[in-house]
Amino acid sequence: MFSGGGIEKRGISKAVNKRSSSRRSSSSSTGSGSTSGSSSGSGSSSGSSSESGRSNNSGSSSGSGSGSGSGSTPLGSPPHVQMASHESLNSESKSSSLNSKLGHESLTVREGTRTLRPDEPTLVPGEHMEGTAREVTYLCPYTGPKKGTLSVTNYRLYFRSPETDPPFELEVPLGVVSRIEKVGGANTSRGENSYGIEIFCKDIRNLRFAHKQTDPLYSSQHNRETNMTVFRRFRILQNFGVFGSGPIYQENHSRRMVTEKLLQYAFPASHKLPFFAFEYCEQYPENGWTVYEPIAELKRQGLPNESWRITRINEDYELCETYPAVWAVPAAASDTDLRNVAAFRSRGRIPVLSWIHPESQATITRCAQPLVGVSGKRSRDDEAYIQHIMDANAQSHKIFIMDARPSVNAVANKARGGGYESEDAYQNAEVQFLDIHNIHVMRESLRKLQEVCYPHIDNAHWLSNLEATHWLDHIRCVLSGALRIADKVESHKTSVVVHCSDGWDRTAQLTALAMLMLDGYYRTIPGFAVLIEKEWLSFGHKFAQRIGHGDDRHQDEDRSPVFLQFVDCVCQVMKQFPHAFQFTEDLLITVLDHLYSCLFGTFLYNSERERMEKEVKTKTVSLWSLILSNPSDFENPLYNPATRHHVLFPLTSMRHLCLWDKYYCRWNPSMRPQEPVHIRFKELLHVKGQLERRVDELRRELAARQTHDSPRVTSAIV
Amino acid sequence: MHSYRRSTRPSSFKTYVDIVEFEERPVDVPEEVDNGKVEPNLLPGEIKIAEANNVLKFAPLKTNKTGISGTLFVTNFKVSFVTSLPVDSKEAELHERSLQSHYLGVHDVCLSEVDLVYQISEGSTKKKRLLYNAPLPARVSGLQLVLKNLRVINFSFKFTPAGEDVRIGQALLHHAFPPSIDHLFLSCGHPSPFTGIPEFCLAQDWEKELQRTRCPNWRVSKHNEFFNLCSSLPTVVVVPRDLLDAQLEQAAQHFQGTRPPVWCWGALGGAALVRMAQISPNISDKISVTKSMGTLQRRKLEEESQQQENRMMGLVHRCHPKKLQPTIIDLDQKLPSLKDLQISYIKLRELHTPDDPTQFWEQDRHYFSRWESSRWLSYVSKCLEVAQNAASAIAHHNSSVILQESEGRDMSAVISSLVQLLLDPQVRTLRGFHSLIQKEWVTLGHSFCLRLGHTRNQPEEQSPVWLLFLDCVHQLSLQHHAALEFTSEYLLALWHASHCSLHSSFMFNSVNAKYSATAVLQRENPQQPVYLRPVWSWWAEDHDWLGGEQNGSSESVKGRRSAARDLFLNVHYIQNLMESLAVSGALGRLRDPVSSAHHTWHRIQYLLGDSGPLPYDPNAPVGPLQIDASLRVDVALSSLKPWHECFSGWISEPSVTINEIDSLSRQSTTTVQHWEHVRQIYYTIKSHLSETLTNGVAE
Repeated sequence: MFSGGGIEKRGISKAVNKRSSSRRSSSSSTGSGSTSGSSSGSGSSSGSSSESGRSNNSGSSSGSGSGSGSGSTPLGSPPHVQMASHESLNSESKSSSLNSKLGHESLTVREGTRTLRPDEPTLVPGEHMEGTAREVTYLCPYTGPKKGTLSVTNYRLYFRSPETDPPFELEVPLGVVSRIEKVGGANTSRGENSYGIEIFCKDIRNLRFAHKQTDPLYSSQHNRETNMTVFRRFRILQNFGVFGSGPIYQENHSRRMVTEKLLQYAFPASHKLPFFAFEYCEQYPENGWTVYEPIAELKRQGLPNESWRITRINEDYELCETYPAVWAVPAAASDTDLRNVAAFRSRGRIPVLSWIHPESQATITRCAQPLVGVSGKRSRDDEAYIQHIMDANAQSHKIFIMDARPSVNAVANKARGGGYESEDAYQNAEVQFLDIHNIHVMRESLRKLQEVCYPHIDNAHWLSNLEATHWLDHIRCVLSGALRIADKVESHKTSVVVHCSDGWDRTAQLTALAMLMLDGYYRTIPGFAVLIEKEWLSFGHKFAQRIGHGDDRHQDEDRSPVFLQFVDCVCQVMKQFPHAFQFTEDLLITVLDHLYSCLFGTFLYNSERERMEKEVKTKTVSLWSLILSNPSDFENPLYNPATRHHVLFPLTSMRHLCLWDKYYCRWNPSMRPQEPVHIRFKELLHVKGQLERRVDELRRELAARQTHDSPRVTSAIV
Repeated sequence: MHSYRRSTRPSSFKTYVDIVEFEERPVDVPEEVDNGKVEPNLLPGEIKIAEANNVLKFAPLKTNKTGISGTLFVTNFKVSFVTSLPVDSKEAELHERSLQSHYLGVHDVCLSEVDLVYQISEGSTKKKRLLYNAPLPARVSGLQLVLKNLRVINFSFKFTPAGEDVRIGQALLHHAFPPSIDHLFLSCGHPSPFTGIPEFCLAQDWEKELQRTRCPNWRVSKHNEFFNLCSSLPTVVVVPRDLLDAQLEQAAQHFQGTRPPVWCWGALGGAALVRMAQISPNISDKISVTKSMGTLQRRKLEEESQQQENRMMGLVHRCHPKKLQPTIIDLDQKLPSLKDLQISYIKLRELHTPDDPTQFWEQDRHYFSRWESSRWLSYVSKCLEVAQNAASAIAHHNSSVILQESEGRDMSAVISSLVQLLLDPQVRTLRGFHSLIQKEWVTLGHSFCLRLGHTRNQPEEQSPVWLLFLDCVHQLSLQHHAALEFTSEYLLALWHASHCSLHSSFMFNSVNAKYSATAVLQRENPQQPVYLRPVWSWWAEDHDWLGGEQNGSSESVKGRRSAARDLFLNVHYIQNLMESLAVSGALGRLRDPVSSAHHTWHRIQYLLGDSGPLPYDPNAPVGPLQIDASLRVDVALSSLKPWHECFSGWISEPSVTINEIDSLSRQSTTTVQHWEHVRQIYYTIKSHLSETLTNGVAE
């Protein structure tokens, strides 16, 4: 009686939960749209007519759709976080079972306004159903096989099983798919669930679906053509309202259909199809494409000034096709100098300003390796240019050239015409190697990490297996490299030139991280968007190649988790400084999910130039539109704006790094990450509000009682 | 990891004096020490033994070039370093969050904290371990102390006048490793304030516990009054009701350490938690003729022991109101041996006490696999697993659990305590946790002195069982971060406190050992009363024993204490308490003495308010047992986290940056905001209550 006090009760806190907003009915009007995220309560009530409850989701949540109000996911994580790869249980069990009893088990393919059945996903604007296969079993590695319906749209794969209560739901944007394999032959496979498809995803998971095996006798009666046209026929039948006439075909050939549709929409680039981003037509109140204006950002840093100028020499992307149109360069260097330097730098990527210290004027500039070659070529212009960069900073008579590579690799690059600056040629320059390995090493490391994390964790050797992947080792190298750059600029007031081989992978990691440590602006939500737009997108990190957007060559050597590594590093810094960031982990996960999803145009293509050519800015939606329109979902309640003026020096030893299990192990239900403090804090504020309201109520009550009492007194006097 | 403000850069701030600077000067310099005689702060009864001037103290890993200069003293209580130079902020912060900050200064180290002493010499990486009886060379150039809390301190005697270095070394070796526990500085001559924690040495303490858990059919036996039955058990023990004292005495002979099975906790359904020793394999302790004994006789004895064990189990069985079979868990089989545990700990100690940055980075590369190969986490996992199984046997099958272990003083304390934490919400409060440790560890006779190595005897018996338990609780608090009223910082403070000789709770092998040590002290010094202070007295303490220090004013003591309190009390737990008040109508019932809201408010007042120094009401009766709120803990190794604050709390990373201002504030500042809001809520409700009270009076 003394001890109870409801300590363990967690009921009320759930009211803070604001996921699964009630959808606006009517899909077509996308006007002001955009859910504010303010609505509460779980999805649609288990009503009899599920149609009215859930129609097209016009809101921002773009496919997080029926995002489980059941609270199985951590409280308060915004719908977008789960969206791109959402696997959770749904609360709308009753409506589904109701409908399946009514027997409406057939294909619906409609576009725009349409009625929905419970086994279909809530579509985002521009998305349409491509096909549905019934009696498919999802072989969940954790909770066992589940039978249900598999739907494919032009954006995602959606699986729903009514077997469990609440129903099991799984949705995967097709952009996440890296490889699709058929498992087992129609006539050869024996055993349960041995016939089906396996989908390998870029976000550290594999999905296996088992299809009902064809009865060999039966399948021989149908020729290939029939199989091919099943989908189309169904569509026609459907549109004419003829139901249920062909379940036989559908069952027997569901795998072929699903596979074909999946291949087509998961790899649009290989099929000469447009990315879904070009069809997605959601409207957001904020336009994310305007978040980064190169000139405005340079102005924010105080440019131009007496030693730095802004040039449009690359406006047509002729001098360097992988660089942005606008550069900041030392004022002392003429346009001719720039052209000469470009000739000496790999792919014309000359040292260009990334960041300038507001007080000391020490700078971070980035470039590609110099074309030194075996013969040890020199370029007077390049040497003078580096000298100009050093001279632009009056505080120091030294300059550091940070070569991100291990020195062995830097030397090896000489054979291919590249190399590094010799300290003899570059006066006052000190070259330091940061020992970060190349994209192939990183790819291999992530592959190992996936083996360790998914699907099952070998508990007995968890730590040593983790160490053997070297993933955290690489994270440590990148972080300590960035730390070294930040330290040189901040503590030594010395300018730093950063490059690797081409200056678009490791260099981007290092400059972006160093800037994040040095400048609190980049730790705000818009600032982080600017950082990614600037250091990653405009300076030509080859997203299309590294991610392989819509490309079916899953073994492509150019793929590498460079950007993922950067985001992981950001997360590590964030964990050490929980109040220095305006955003939470959820933002990072959302960014990573849409790195693959192809829902937004932001990460498509390799360079600013390509994106201009494809008119990405006008034809697609920016990821930042989603994020800037829903800031409350990503805001960190613990953020202390005073930290904007702080420089962060994170600890970079192994013991202070930890695996980002909320991302890498998120599919594993046994890895329940600790409840983040910021959510706890939100709850506290909620409780505080509640209690204050109650106190106010009581006060009013008391006051009312007193005024009720006093008139009686006065009346007595009167 | 650290951040600093760009505008207020303390570039001129210089804590460390470069040794190179000294070398340029004539030898006998450091000018800071010149102004007058420096003296250590002595507690009542403390005596200065040796002194060395111009000693340089090196912070660990800060490359052996920088140190601070001062005078080093060895007293009969501590190693004291006195300097006028400013203190490293990290050291100061760690000092403030310790439970002995009112006995020890920032640079002081209690003698019983010293684990290893090495002789180090300038320029060479070799170091030589010094045992207590080691002869010292004519000149000692430096000493390295490795403390039991994994802190490393280096002292250099480069500028120390000859002779002083050797004297201080000898004094240290002699006094840090005493031959018996009563040589340690155990009493500072003042009685401990009232803490309200039962010592479980009186029959009424156990009776209250029996009443609280409503466990029937057990009784309190006073048969051990003069420790005649068993020297490691308290004078009163709880045994099955049907067991007569004579039978108890007879049975005890057949168990190792003559420890008969004792009750330690019970559940509402009647299931009891019993700790039992293994039966004696050969009863050599009692019968001296073992060697001449024939095999027949031996077998007969073994049979007899077996019979006694069976009889005891039968009695436990019969105590159960529903006569359910008890579950017997053989901890010797399921859990690591004390030896394994010590080996594991030594591996971790090596990993976390690097000598120089090179070694640090070398270890860092294989940090995770080294953790794994130490097997520490797998031991933690095993303990949690066994505790979980035992808890579910009690909670779900209503079966009594008998924990059997060689003497029943080590692992059974771990498991028994964990089971109670998992099942009993009362134990998760500070008061309950204190009682739990007092009952399971202190009174039921965990050999703290032996296991923690407070004396130089039997080093092979050392084993960090106590730390293993604290780590288990730490994992529990990570997984259920709002379930415990205290934080893992408090657990860590308890670990550190268990090495300080003034905290009597963790100094002795048993209650009996404590009595005899007190008697020895009393005999040696009959004029001075001997007062042993349990560690819990920290909460009620309002006196700073280091009066000499400039910051020793009572206000700063209070300020420091409240800062430490914020660290030790779990703000999330308080948040939950407040959440339960947010239910509609709860606030209206705050003053209704039978409502649960009233009790919750009462507790919040003790935790946050100024009702007294203790965070609980020491006189209030302890609430009855509720078993519905049991915790589950995930024992998979991937869910357990290395306890960095404990093992690498003292190591600061050799940093590449020159702006080195360490801050530990990252976690605490997150809770600072939490505390602020929790306090605001508290004051809102409090002012509301006082309003209604005055209005009520007006009415």
